[in-house]
Amino acid sequence: MTSDRASFARARDTYSRLNGTPYGATVKLVVGFAFLAALPQLLGVSILGFSLGAFLSVNVLIVTLVYATAGQAWNIMSGYTGYFSFGHAAFFGVGAYVTSKLSVAFGINPWIGLLVGALVAGVIGLAVGFLNFRYDLRGHYFALATFAIALLLQVVVRNMEEFGAAVGIYRPFPGDYGAEFGLVAMQFREPNSYYYLILSFLLVVTVVAWLIKRSQIGYYLFAIRENEDAAASLGISPFRYKMFAIGTSAFFTAWCGAFWSMYVEIIRPSTVFGLTRNVEILLPSVIGGVGSVPGTIIGSFLVFPLSEALRVSFPDIPGLDTVVYGIALVLIALLLPNGVISLGDRLGWGESDEVNRESMSGEERPSDDD
Amino acid sequence: MLHLAVQSGVLEPLRELFGDLIGLNPVLLQLLVFGLLLGGIYALAALGLTMIFGVMDIVNFAHGSFLVLGMFSSWWVSSTFGVSPFLTIIVSVVLLFVLGVALSVLTIEPIIEKPEENQFIVTLGISFIIIALLEIAFGADSRSLGIQLGNYQVLGASIPRAQLYALVIALLSIVACWAFLYYTKLGRALRATADNRDAAWYMGINVPRIDHLTFGLGAALAGLGGGAIVLFSPVDPFAGETYLVKAFVIVVLGGLGSFPGALVGGLVIGLIEVYGSYYLPGTVYEIVIFGMFVVLLYVKPTGLFGAEEVSR
Repeated sequence: MTSDRASFARARDTYSRLNGTPYGATVKLVVGFAFLAALPQLLGVSILGFSLGAFLSVNVLIVTLVYATAGQAWNIMSGYTGYFSFGHAAFFGVGAYVTSKLSVAFGINPWIGLLVGALVAGVIGLAVGFLNFRYDLRGHYFALATFAIALLLQVVVRNMEEFGAAVGIYRPFPGDYGAEFGLVAMQFREPNSYYYLILSFLLVVTVVAWLIKRSQIGYYLFAIRENEDAAASLGISPFRYKMFAIGTSAFFTAWCGAFWSMYVEIIRPSTVFGLTRNVEILLPSVIGGVGSVPGTIIGSFLVFPLSEALRVSFPDIPGLDTVVYGIALVLIALLLPNGVISLGDRLGWGESDEVNRESMSGEERPSDDD
Repeated sequence: MLHLAVQSGVLEPLRELFGDLIGLNPVLLQLLVFGLLLGGIYALAALGLTMIFGVMDIVNFAHGSFLVLGMFSSWWVSSTFGVSPFLTIIVSVVLLFVLGVALSVLTIEPIIEKPEENQFIVTLGISFIIIALLEIAFGADSRSLGIQLGNYQVLGASIPRAQLYALVIALLSIVACWAFLYYTKLGRALRATADNRDAAWYMGINVPRIDHLTFGLGAALAGLGGGAIVLFSPVDPFAGETYLVKAFVIVVLGGLGSFPGALVGGLVIGLIEVYGSYYLPGTVYEIVIFGMFVVLLYVKPTGLFGAEEVSR
């Protein structure tokens, strides 16, 4: 027991020394992603008759990473600025539909589709942002306005025969637009390749999110989150930085949609633009810690594998996993209102300035009615 | 291409509507009846949401599941014990009130001052739990009371009785809520809390207790709505989402926390849905509803009847 504690203390020392170095965050990023890269291989490893593979499959990990990536993109907008978007499914859906439609109808490679979809989503994001910020919607109204955009896109697509109406679009065959299954076609025969593709997307978005957070812009965005009027009075243009955040966020959320459309069998308006999708995109960040870059990834790994493990564990009672899942959500929100990442703070694994900025958000955030 | 789409999609229905108006086509009256009936139900579904939204400033994502719970409890008591479905509405109301107060004490009060995303997560979690428990208890199949109440015939339009009763229930409950808010001391305390929470504290109002009461009443209204809906509509555990989304639109359209707003908003949505699905192709009426929702949020986020100074 004592040796356990001593080794824990030693590990903590190493961790805090690592944290203090200028390359600390880079080291954490590399170690974290190396672990994620090894994860599919670890599934089959059995320790004392217990193996992760019994509860999880690579497909669950893929879904987890899709939402970690989308959550990271959501975080750039909503986590950093405090403007809570409840409609990121709009951007997800645009990415999915543009990519699918271009490859099915015109034989255009999904990588080009991904880029086009991301640009379209970015423009829509800027338009939505322009309207929201121009009319100064905040708090619940901002959330409702973004939600409304996702709903509107859903019903518009559902009424367009060109986009398969309510039925949706089936995933095209690679031969229709590329040579064969593989990276060029963005479609694979086995899930492992999908896993590494979405992992690389996550890496890109995580690095971007991290760079933004560390940059001048990041400081401005967090200043806007803490007190927008004070930030404006210091000469920061909140409008410009909020527009940057929503544009970037929408752009990367569309990547996940594009990936999704090449991964699942069929995309439908009710699923890619739906209420549940909106929730799933923001959940990782909220569970992990709003505004926290590693927190979003941790949050995703808490939510989606848990839900799947519960489903596998209680196959006879459909719905029981959802009950436990719901209880977990309620408990996390009640006990850790600043996200799971704040647990590290409470246990005294004092992180440097990075978390201090995050822990501010809970108690001291000014209320909206001021 | 676009020209053609506009011609066939917009002009044709308008021409048709105009023709029916000129010719006094009786179908217009029938549609009006259906629209008002549907709108009344939507208004009833939105009442509890607008109350909780207005007083506590909480977006209650569990409202749809409250409605479904109200439908199921009314259906279950009625079909198990053979009680009249009109009486079992009372069971739904009481059940949901108790549940609402309990949930408010246990889950809402601890986080009401915390960042708003926690309210989203808590109410969503509650919603998942309720819907999944209903699925475990009753299965995913659709259930209905299977009662036939028949129709009234008025001026050539037929009025389904079950829906008419539901509309009457909606109107009565709106009047009752309004009377409670404006003619009782407790109602005044509720309005004071909605107006300014801090000032209400200073004036000696026990704000947490008002919150529990509000959440209980909001849930009870959902129970009432569910009990009324199950009179004519089948129920399954997932039926709540449609009503929840419509209720959001109605609450924004009518203005947060406004009961007359919820009624008018409900009727507007009901009329658009009924006329739209008759004259417009497919489900284009949904585009009209949500397009209106988006425009309204920007142009007049306080809604038709909302107070100007509502925080935004």
